[in-house]
Amino acid sequence: MEAASRQAASTIDPKLLARVAKGDPQAFEQLYDQSSTLLFTLSYRILNDRDEAAELLQEVYLEVWRKIAKYDVGRGSPIAWLVTLTRSRAIDRLRSRAAHGQQAVADSFEHPLVSVTPDVSPNPYEAQEDTELRQLMAKAILDLPLPQQQAIEMAFYQGLTHTDIAAKLNQPLGTVKTRIKLAMTKLRASLQQTLPQGEGA
Amino acid sequence: MTHEELEEAVPLYAIGALERSERQAIEAHLLSGCAACHAALKDYQTVASLLPFGLTPATPPNTLKAKIMMAPVPIPGAAEAEQAAPRSSLEPGEWMNHLFPPITPARSLPFRLAMGLAAAVMVLGGGYFAWLSYTQTTERASEIRQLEAAVQQETARVASIQSELQQREQTIATLKTGMEQRTTEIADLRDQLLQREAELDDAHTQLTKNDSSLQRLARQSEEFVGLFKNPASKVVPLVGSELAKSAGAFLLFDPATEKAWLYAYNLPALPSGKVYQLWAIDDKPVSVSVFGLDAGLKARRYIKNLTEFSRMKKFAVTVEPDGGLPEPTGALYLIGQN
Repeated sequence: MEAASRQAASTIDPKLLARVAKGDPQAFEQLYDQSSTLLFTLSYRILNDRDEAAELLQEVYLEVWRKIAKYDVGRGSPIAWLVTLTRSRAIDRLRSRAAHGQQAVADSFEHPLVSVTPDVSPNPYEAQEDTELRQLMAKAILDLPLPQQQAIEMAFYQGLTHTDIAAKLNQPLGTVKTRIKLAMTKLRASLQQTLPQGEGA
Repeated sequence: MTHEELEEAVPLYAIGALERSERQAIEAHLLSGCAACHAALKDYQTVASLLPFGLTPATPPNTLKAKIMMAPVPIPGAAEAEQAAPRSSLEPGEWMNHLFPPITPARSLPFRLAMGLAAAVMVLGGGYFAWLSYTQTTERASEIRQLEAAVQQETARVASIQSELQQREQTIATLKTGMEQRTTEIADLRDQLLQREAELDDAHTQLTKNDSSLQRLARQSEEFVGLFKNPASKVVPLVGSELAKSAGAFLLFDPATEKAWLYAYNLPALPSGKVYQLWAIDDKPVSVSVFGLDAGLKARRYIKNLTEFSRMKKFAVTVEPDGGLPEPTGALYLIGQN
């Protein structure tokens, strides 16, 4: 248990997912220990409500159980798969909230992409790899100009399309597209060392 | 969209910022097997999925783990049913399924080194295309399944539209029949109305006619009464001859207007082709009027112009042929002295 929780979210072994797919409860527990903090952080960030974030995670892990057989190791890292699934479901909730007339998100830039003083201190319960990645990511984001941070924030955490963002910021569509593209290109360059080296590239 | 435009849109696709139609265009492009876009997308997807590492970690509630672990383990394979429900946002597998096919086992060169570099390149190229076509075939198969499902859905929709259309047609047919009935009814009513109008016209004509004959009668009676009341009027009574002993008549005369009125009673019914004729006699008989009898064997005759009444010595009524004659030829029925 102690050893499992110290394993990094960023380095979940694809073999672990294969064991989960076979119905191994211990493997599932380990998967939870490795991924739940990151996924909860993400879902809390999007939904801005601890209870709802916890409720969403229950659904997400149930879906992981059901869909894990479909997961293909060669097509993306386990954590990328889990993050994408969690984000999709959280954005779904956000949209259904908006459809029910509730305010979808606390408006615009109240919750920035990183904390103003990002917590980059090593956490005793966190694996070394995750700490390093957190520090790298925080720096990469803070290096971006504020308008680019904002565009990324609105797309990823608010689930807005470039058209939505342009309308909300009252900016030309082309400007918004360029901001996102530039931001993504810079982030890609900053994270180059951590990106898996694709066999096709 | 051109390839450059699509490549430009890959970072936006990775972070989920594209509109649906743009997303579909990119996905179609990826399905077509563009290796450059695949590679770029893989990087950008990884970048996007690492974004949450930039957040200050939030620890999930302690109870969450127990709740999740207590959930019943789903039966493997139940995933298929789940797959059918369409989701509004991007499925996690959606893009990943488009990317990076299973790593094909390392292909050992089946040719001798003597075959040279060119041959090796050819084989590698062939292998790549085989790999590509394998991927594409798998992807095509799933695409075809999706299309088939879509076609089935559309067919069902078309069927439902058709049945709805048939219902509408039936309704229209019913309405049309109803309308035709109404039209017939209206035509009938119009005919009836025309008939009533014609009848009314007839009645009106009849009434006018009746009215005028009534007026005539009224006028005659008035004149008769007037003659009676007038003290200047003269009355000549006529008595029945041997042929009609019970018969009699009066002749009223107004000297001012020279009008006369004959009232006869109890005369015998006339044979056909005969009339009664009234004569005024001075030295020889002059015809005054011809008349028939009404249902009560009575006769009322109004004589407009009886000149030189006072000169006449006698008045007589004989039976003559229809239309009367200039001189009396038939039997005498009534006779009176002036």
